[in-house]
Amino acid sequence: MQPRPNNGFQPVFCTIVPPHVLDKLSQADDPLLADPARRTLEADGARRHHRRVTALARTPRATRTSAPVPTKPHRTLYDCRHGTDLPGVKVRDEGDEPTGDAGVNRAYAGLGATFDLLLNEYGRSSIDGKGLPLIGSVHYDEKYNNAFFDGEQMVFGDGDGEIFLDFTLAIDVIAHELAHGLTQYTANLTYEGQSGALNESVSDVFGSLVKQYSLGQSAEQGDWLIGAGLLAPRVDGVALRSMKAPGTAYDDDVLGKDPQPASMDDYVETDEDNGGVHINSGIPNRAFHLLATALGGNAWERAGRIWFDVLTGGELAQDASFRDFAKLTVAAAQHRFGEGDEAEAVLKAWSEVGVPTR
Amino acid sequence: MRIQVSRTGGFAGIARHGEVETSGRPDAAGWEALAEAALATGRDGPPAGVPDGFRYRITVGDRTVECADPRLSEAQRTLISRVLKEGA
Repeated sequence: MQPRPNNGFQPVFCTIVPPHVLDKLSQADDPLLADPARRTLEADGARRHHRRVTALARTPRATRTSAPVPTKPHRTLYDCRHGTDLPGVKVRDEGDEPTGDAGVNRAYAGLGATFDLLLNEYGRSSIDGKGLPLIGSVHYDEKYNNAFFDGEQMVFGDGDGEIFLDFTLAIDVIAHELAHGLTQYTANLTYEGQSGALNESVSDVFGSLVKQYSLGQSAEQGDWLIGAGLLAPRVDGVALRSMKAPGTAYDDDVLGKDPQPASMDDYVETDEDNGGVHINSGIPNRAFHLLATALGGNAWERAGRIWFDVLTGGELAQDASFRDFAKLTVAAAQHRFGEGDEAEAVLKAWSEVGVPTR
Repeated sequence: MRIQVSRTGGFAGIARHGEVETSGRPDAAGWEALAEAALATGRDGPPAGVPDGFRYRITVGDRTVECADPRLSEAQRTLISRVLKEGA
């Protein structure tokens, strides 16, 4: 097979300036700032940006009172039809009837459940707190063994059917991706090393909480697994990660063994995976599980509230270490619940996984 | 010419590696042209990735570039897919 010709190829790494900064610049009154930013955005080929920037530039700035914070989600699902152009073809908008595509309907429901948890339990309207529309694309690429958040939307592959099944099958995976958006709009934890593992862990925590919330499960009833039902039948494993017992989710000839550590004693130093962000997340994951089960009841009410307060409180640094995060959870527990069981349980949970809180 | 592809990251965080030795293969010219096209659009240092996105390291002979989903060129996507599928 001959490679495809390179005609019309666009450089893929056009800019290191984040799109939201360019958006802001492009709306500046000073044409010296606005024009290059607008050109960069347009050259990026980011069609959504272009439309949004153009729309914003022509509209008078909205006042605070004219835009009430939405209390309903605005979900739009797209079908990539096994290609890699994002977002793909629109297949279901907010309020539309279910389609004949189960993956689309699962993603729609999963985004809705995540929106509900954030709004009903934490008083936050969507991931940005201002009702940001939620966008998901399914059937990305062919036999694609992954799901990711690209900074603006969620993307789900179908899996190859041999190792992984459809990534929309697990509601915690859908919520995990959306939680990356929540983190991006709040603490914006750098996706590298310990702050990256915290970014991953926060997504697992809220992924698992959305699953428990949607099933009405208490901390004792939850499975505390990430990606249960995602592994093909031939794979020896129950899920991709276990928050309850990191390192035990799978042990398979092809997949290898779950590499997650359960405490700081086994922290993995590696250059791969942005410094092991999907590996060392096992440590804060287990701390959360220990806290939630020690407190009992619904995990999203107290344990989840403490984590949410830290993530959105404004004190968590982008490059936070496990220890920084742990210290803030103690303070958040004391602030919200006083000197009681909660703060005591937080201290004990981090102690069990070997993360200092002072 | 030896073509190697390493994939790391991804939701599951499971690494994959594949390599193809093109010398002696009847389709060597096609592989090498594809590899050159993939190198042309890569960069030396780590690229800006996205949460849960796969990251790739492509090594052709003694040259290495890195790239990350979803911002791959067509040549990179094709090469990665073929090497990880056909490579040992």
